[in-house]
Amino acid sequence: MKNTLKIVLFCLLVLSTNLFAQNVTVNNNLTFGTVYPGIPKTISKTTAGFAAEFYISGIAGNEITIDFALPTYMNIGSSNMQVIFQETDCAIDTSATPDQSNPEFNNLDPWHTLTYRIGSNGLYVWLGGILVPGLSQNEGSYSTNIVITVTYTGN
Amino acid sequence: MFNNLDLKIIRYFILFVAGLTMTQSVSAQDVANGSATANVQAALAIVNTQDLQFGSVFQGVAKSVTNNDAAAAGIFTITGAAGAGISAYLTLPQYLATPTGFDRMNIAFRTNDLTIDSTLNTDPSAFGAGWLDVDPNNLPTGLVIGSDVVSHTMLFLGGRVLPSVDQSAGAYSGNIIVTVAYNGT
Repeated sequence: MKNTLKIVLFCLLVLSTNLFAQNVTVNNNLTFGTVYPGIPKTISKTTAGFAAEFYISGIAGNEITIDFALPTYMNIGSSNMQVIFQETDCAIDTSATPDQSNPEFNNLDPWHTLTYRIGSNGLYVWLGGILVPGLSQNEGSYSTNIVITVTYTGN
Repeated sequence: MFNNLDLKIIRYFILFVAGLTMTQSVSAQDVANGSATANVQAALAIVNTQDLQFGSVFQGVAKSVTNNDAAAAGIFTITGAAGAGISAYLTLPQYLATPTGFDRMNIAFRTNDLTIDSTLNTDPSAFGAGWLDVDPNNLPTGLVIGSDVVSHTMLFLGGRVLPSVDQSAGAYSGNIIVTVAYNGT
């Protein structure tokens, strides 16, 4: 009896974990590719394969907030290169058929908290940006982190 | 009031609720770390490898230097990312002057005085491939740094000086300025 009870409670705990589980995954990193010194390069949020893509799974209809921690520089060793995120560089699609080239919610500000409800097919977030290499920018592969935090609001 | 089994059930229930609450609070937020990446190519550099040299010139006698004259043609070496598209512009003088500016001598650049070589070749007299005998005042579009395996492009420049019959004797010089920039192609 005692063991049965334990097993039932364990299963309930596991079930409860699944019920409230949500995940944000990185489908694609923001990829600027080849860049030349002195030539700024823009990646549009609607450019598949180059714009950053995040996928958020969870219970359809639940409201979440999305916050970015965005970098202002990319680095290689001690060399920095400016990266700019504008107030319209983010897009979201919560529809059943997400379309990066024509997102449901376009021109969103990644610098502020975004509040949306998860759709039946999850929620997709896309992010573009501008890279500004200097005229004498050191050669090399630069990188930086983009942190996305997703939180249930309880609504 | 409660038997042992009831107490155990209550204990486990409390444990379950506590666990559930913890699970909720833990799973109510998720964080992912993406990244932004870029490959910056080599910065452009241009070097005046050899001046355009007319040598000795006589009053009233025009003198030309061809762009394939290994010893006298002006040579500029542009280095950068192999295969990258560039735009270039030459600012050419209209005259050479004495150090004090006391006298001037006309210089002319014809529409075929420039050769651009995008191969490994660095010798004006041994053109490899690129743009042969083009106008230094109107450089062609589509210029590139070398090729996929060559990271330099050479400019070979000729010209013509036109000393007057009463040109003052002495050394004359003028600046030739080459401006080059990546165009992102």
